[in-house]
Amino acid sequence: MSILMDILLGLWENSGLGQFGLNWATLGTLAMILLSFVFMYLAIVKGFEPLLLLPIAFGMFLSNLPAGLPEDMIFHAEFWNEPQSAEWFWKVLHDGGLLDKLYLGVKLQIYPCLIFLGIGTMTDFGPLIANPKSFLLGAAAQGGIFFTFVAAGLLGMTAAECGSIAIIGGADGPTSIYVSSKLLEGANSKLNTGTIALAAYTYMALVPVIQPFWMKLLTTKKERAIKMPQLRQPSKTEKIIFPVVVTLVVALIIPSAASLVGMLMFGNLLKESGACDRLVDTAQNALMNIVTIFLGISVGATTTASNVCNWDFIKVMGLGVVAFSLGTISGLLLAKLMNLITGGKVNPLIGSAGVSAVPMAARISQKVGAQTDPTNFLLMHAMGPNVAGVIGSAVAAGVLLSVVK
Amino acid sequence: MNLMNAASLITRLEGGIDGDVHMDGGQIAGVTVAGLGVVFAVLVLLVLIIFLFNKIFEAIYNSQRKKEISEAAQSAPKSDPVPAAAAKPAAPAVKAAAQDDDEVIAVISAVVAMMSEADGRSYRVKSVKPVQGFSGRTAWAMDGRRQNVAPF
Repeated sequence: MSILMDILLGLWENSGLGQFGLNWATLGTLAMILLSFVFMYLAIVKGFEPLLLLPIAFGMFLSNLPAGLPEDMIFHAEFWNEPQSAEWFWKVLHDGGLLDKLYLGVKLQIYPCLIFLGIGTMTDFGPLIANPKSFLLGAAAQGGIFFTFVAAGLLGMTAAECGSIAIIGGADGPTSIYVSSKLLEGANSKLNTGTIALAAYTYMALVPVIQPFWMKLLTTKKERAIKMPQLRQPSKTEKIIFPVVVTLVVALIIPSAASLVGMLMFGNLLKESGACDRLVDTAQNALMNIVTIFLGISVGATTTASNVCNWDFIKVMGLGVVAFSLGTISGLLLAKLMNLITGGKVNPLIGSAGVSAVPMAARISQKVGAQTDPTNFLLMHAMGPNVAGVIGSAVAAGVLLSVVK
Repeated sequence: MNLMNAASLITRLEGGIDGDVHMDGGQIAGVTVAGLGVVFAVLVLLVLIIFLFNKIFEAIYNSQRKKEISEAAQSAPKSDPVPAAAAKPAAPAVKAAAQDDDEVIAVISAVVAMMSEADGRSYRVKSVKPVQGFSGRTAWAMDGRRQNVAPF
């Protein structure tokens, strides 16, 4: 009888239920589990970025479930604050749970680059080739990154933290993950890639809420009604040369941006070549979906109670919305200036699409333009700055990685 | 801030900033100026390169088009066109267009009649004019475009 009791007691002590007690840690864990349920609800019922939010929510749910034995834990948050070494890799592979092993793809910057490959196969750079001036709007919107860098610096954050938070202003999830995982590696900081990714994707899902406010505030009805002439259709040769030229220029000037831009342009070259349909099909469907699942669930796993229930996370969320808003404002202001210089030929609404949330930001430009005049079609004009923003944020990421060591 | 100041700020970033360091005002300004400057410089360079490519491809396209036109002109039969014969088929086309207009007006009238039944008021169709949309598009083309863009 005592043996049976010992076994049952052992099972209870090693179970997750046995870890719950009346303390702050338990309350934090329960709060995170409830938050994961809220995210699941938002993803399934409200349809907020479900392809990414649902894996993130479930990763959050899994990693916050307590376990009695360390080897039973599916994710070990404590591993990821340690500096990387051969022993560290061995520890993760040997003692880590499933989500620790999947998170290696984030930590080693593999997933963001593979997602860029998939994005490249789905992106049409035609509007940008037809109107290369769109590049300037893509550059202006990166002002959000650098102005937020100033704000974070003035709040007394370290250089690595400033860079990691500022990159949220690029409105590009994979780039945010890429930069923060590199900058925060071994840094003396409470921030982690998971919280940065969560903030970035939260604000990307909130693009339809954040951007229209600034767009309507900073433009007049007359400006919003400006109709832009139809763009020309670039030839196939131009579309094939474009990814090669962009890679050449960016990789030679900012080598630290070569991984992101190189994979983006490689994916695009596969698409535009017309000779690799099978590879394009895999990159834009199977590969993209697999990486999204791994990325979402492992990033979600990093949002443990200890990582999220602190002031730093609140600062990230606060500065994140500042970064996003500043990016939108910078793009809009340059578009207004271009409109002034060209004598009323540029609708300023396309400027906000310079943040690289593709294609959502371009959709918002189209939607706000159509609200003023239903016969106004800005979608393709906004796609130029939108895809330029992807290149711009990758270049800005490269600059941050070059400057902050 | 003049160029010399900007250059001195960028020089201060030489070797990079330690990630764990709390930056002073000069370093923050240096990263911002250098960062935005480099992003703009790279993208302006790309604008110039793509602009150059556009010009080259435009020139190639124009020369090919000229060649095609001159070849077509050379291979065309040299018989004189007969204006009277060319004008003849125009009459049935006009008739068909008029017939189409009648059908369109009938459809529009039917829709208006349905509307008047729905809201209890009576309407009269006084005139039907084709509306030319932006960029020379017809109302039908504009509606098709609107339908395509609506999902976004």
